[in-house]
Amino acid sequence: MTVSRRDFIKTNAALAAATAAGVNLPGAAKAEDGIRWDKGVCRFCGTGCGVLVGVQDGRVVATQGDPDAPVNKGLNCIKGYFLSKIMYGKDRLETPLLRMKDGKYAKDGEFTPVSWDQAFDVMAEKWKAAMKNKGPTSVGMFGSGQWTLWEGYAASKLMKAGFRSNNIDPNARHCMASAVGAFIRAFGIDEPMGCYDDLEHADAFVLWGANMAEMHPILWSRLTDTRLTKKGCEVHVLSTFENRCFELADNGMVFTPQTDLAILNFIANYIIENKAYNQAFIDKSVNFTKTPTDIGYGLRPEHPLEKKAKNPAKGKLTNITFEEYAASVKPYTLEYTSKLSGVPQDQLLALAKVYADPNKKVSSYWTMGFNQHTRGVWVNGLLYNVHLLMGKISEPGNSPFSLTGQPSACGTAREVGTFAHRLPADLVVMNEAHRKYAEQVWKLPAGTIPPKPGYHAVLQNRMLKDGKLNAYWVQCTNNMQAAPNMNEEGYPGYRNPENFITVSDPYPTVTAMAADLILPTAMWMEKEGAYGNAERRTQFWRQQVAPYGQAKSDVWQVIEFSKRFKMEDVWPAELLDQKPEYKGKTLYEVLYTNGQVNKFPADPVKDAAGNVYENHESADFGFYVQKGLFEEYRLFQYEGPAAKKGHQMADFDLYHKARGLRWPVIDGKETLWRYREGYDPFVKAGEGVKFYGKPNGKANVIFAPYEPAAESPDDNYNLWLCTGRVLEHWHSGSMTRRVPELYRAYPGAKIYMHPDDAEARGLKRGQAVKVETRRGELVTRVETRGRNKPPKGLVFMPWFDASQLVNKLTLDATDPLSKETDFKKCACKVMAV
Amino acid sequence: MSISSLVMHVRPEAIDAVTVALGEFEGVELHAVTEDSRLVVTVDQPDNRKASDTLTRLQGLSGVLNASLIYNYFEPDTDAKEEGDDSL
Repeated sequence: MTVSRRDFIKTNAALAAATAAGVNLPGAAKAEDGIRWDKGVCRFCGTGCGVLVGVQDGRVVATQGDPDAPVNKGLNCIKGYFLSKIMYGKDRLETPLLRMKDGKYAKDGEFTPVSWDQAFDVMAEKWKAAMKNKGPTSVGMFGSGQWTLWEGYAASKLMKAGFRSNNIDPNARHCMASAVGAFIRAFGIDEPMGCYDDLEHADAFVLWGANMAEMHPILWSRLTDTRLTKKGCEVHVLSTFENRCFELADNGMVFTPQTDLAILNFIANYIIENKAYNQAFIDKSVNFTKTPTDIGYGLRPEHPLEKKAKNPAKGKLTNITFEEYAASVKPYTLEYTSKLSGVPQDQLLALAKVYADPNKKVSSYWTMGFNQHTRGVWVNGLLYNVHLLMGKISEPGNSPFSLTGQPSACGTAREVGTFAHRLPADLVVMNEAHRKYAEQVWKLPAGTIPPKPGYHAVLQNRMLKDGKLNAYWVQCTNNMQAAPNMNEEGYPGYRNPENFITVSDPYPTVTAMAADLILPTAMWMEKEGAYGNAERRTQFWRQQVAPYGQAKSDVWQVIEFSKRFKMEDVWPAELLDQKPEYKGKTLYEVLYTNGQVNKFPADPVKDAAGNVYENHESADFGFYVQKGLFEEYRLFQYEGPAAKKGHQMADFDLYHKARGLRWPVIDGKETLWRYREGYDPFVKAGEGVKFYGKPNGKANVIFAPYEPAAESPDDNYNLWLCTGRVLEHWHSGSMTRRVPELYRAYPGAKIYMHPDDAEARGLKRGQAVKVETRRGELVTRVETRGRNKPPKGLVFMPWFDASQLVNKLTLDATDPLSKETDFKKCACKVMAV
Repeated sequence: MSISSLVMHVRPEAIDAVTVALGEFEGVELHAVTEDSRLVVTVDQPDNRKASDTLTRLQGLSGVLNASLIYNYFEPDTDAKEEGDDSL
């Protein structure tokens, strides 16, 4: 590179930073850098930062925080910064790989390169055999909150409408299923009522089990700005160990695991005893209920804890009076709660006062600390109780806000219906009217979609192990590494000789290496995509570069695979007799060239400047795949049972112009706060606040008590084991560990421990240790300093490291209501190797 | 090679100390300081390993509240062997 070109680039880099900081650089002018820039979205967390993607000679060479993106206003965190490198890891998969021996597929064979045709031939044969032997429940799919909208939509349609199996679930089950459960129970509609603008409007912030400083750094920088610039602003942080957020906290609280249930009931009790509640709001907008207790821990039915439970997995709400509710929270006194939680009384009181002060706008944030919890739906609900008692909801700054960890956990996993019980736009398979409507949109005969929810994430691994789920496809996620209890459930399930496992991924992940067939996947800017972030913002990007090697996008794979099935292979004669015109056709024709999905021609994709972009799916199938799928999905939003629940999105073309829009989008206008007159177009003049997801327009306060964790430390396994993440790596590290800079910044996992706990075990910082639970063991190194400071009795270990699989240790206890695993609490012991 | 830019949010009382510290880094240039104590910085390094080290150290400087990365241009290192995933 010539010096002058280097200077040009440096000037542009400095200008970009100056713009983000809101300052001018005298004398500097933007130089021509020969790079084509287009808008994109970050590949990682649920924040949904806008990035500008720079392409030169068919390769992404530069990225820049998008100054026009409202989410991040030009900033990026360290992971976003290295985005341009995630596609260029040294071990990108070039071709399909099939386990073979003597030239044929063999479960115990070696991975051998094959063509796409060979790969799909073997895979289709296995799927047909499974369905013939055991019916549609023997096939399944595991997807992702990293799927683009159309990838999730096309996959869900293939499984539910095509194969007539509801055994499709996303990794988002591990991530925010508890949040979803609580939204539906309290409000009848999924996803937050507020948005990121609350970060500037609030007077106080409370973090409940969310390490925003490391996991959502851009939102954290917005929160930091508000804390430092707004007079009287306070930050309260609750966690089971001290993390980086405590550096900014005015009130940092470390509590004993599981006692968040008690702390929230204490706050409600405090509000009631001090008569601080908002009577007018309660009278008009709140309904008081209680939930069944002693509901078990979502383990296998033969587990002693499940046998002992009085009301396993029960969640039907019972109406109660305000007085009954007040009596229910009364035992959660300051003294009792402080003793149970280990949080000093004055700190609990300071926290309660923030919520109880009618003049302080409070935004609460949470992520996995609440969601990965055997009482996750309960604890989400208990926080809504506090906000609802005060009426601190659905307005700028007053916001209970569920953050997400994946770029499209909301947009894809939740909204297009990739859960085992869901259909697009909050419809569910259990509801006959919802099924009928979906069948109508998809032009299917009545009775195509099965009414029973399929296997959820954890159950899929159990059913693989038990040989009930036999043909299985994993896309866009590294679930062998991510799912709990890998030793006893995940790995035996994948390697069960009865099963055929396909994994689509750009890299040879732990999951891919446990499969029978690996399909190379086009990622991020190698395909046209759309994500939906945590604040209901839908964002699109164009394909910027050609896929690596023979890689193809997930949506291409799903659609191409559907060509291998005649309707007679997948539907019984009775069903096909209702639509005789489908006889002899393929799934491809019925699902994807149905006159809707293939409605738009494969014209060249252009931006406003006239640059032309490739689209490898449209080129292959001969129609504009992404637009057709998106526009068919939109039909669910405008008519039928979902139309009154405010899920409307704008038309496809608008998203290619906008920096994302927050749904519902009505007449091209996005919605920032829902359920409140003046902000939400579904609330009419004079209605004030209306929770229109519920028939009576009222939200549910739901009482739930403190109940203990599934597994707590005892004399033998004497420490809490909590797993989680670090700033440098995203989730299982399958992308970030392949970026040399990030790898170097945090090469291997370690276990964070209190110095006294280390000393008591004769351990020194940096020493190799064995960590053991009832399910397995691993070797790691002990860390007694650094960014995380656990209290005595608890250890923390991140799960990104494929060479130290912490999920060999975790227990597959789940919230019985949401089926989401509690990765934050089990019992372990740590000893010198 | 790697060229990047950052905005560093610094505690007001620490600006002088951070500015001095920046001067000791090779390839690091300070372009502007805003009224609300943000620094506009570029990092120009011959190889990605050096860039990585520099970025990590900049973020760890005392008084730095938040370092946001804005722009990154890179060309793959041709000679230096870089670490990848070594675990599989």
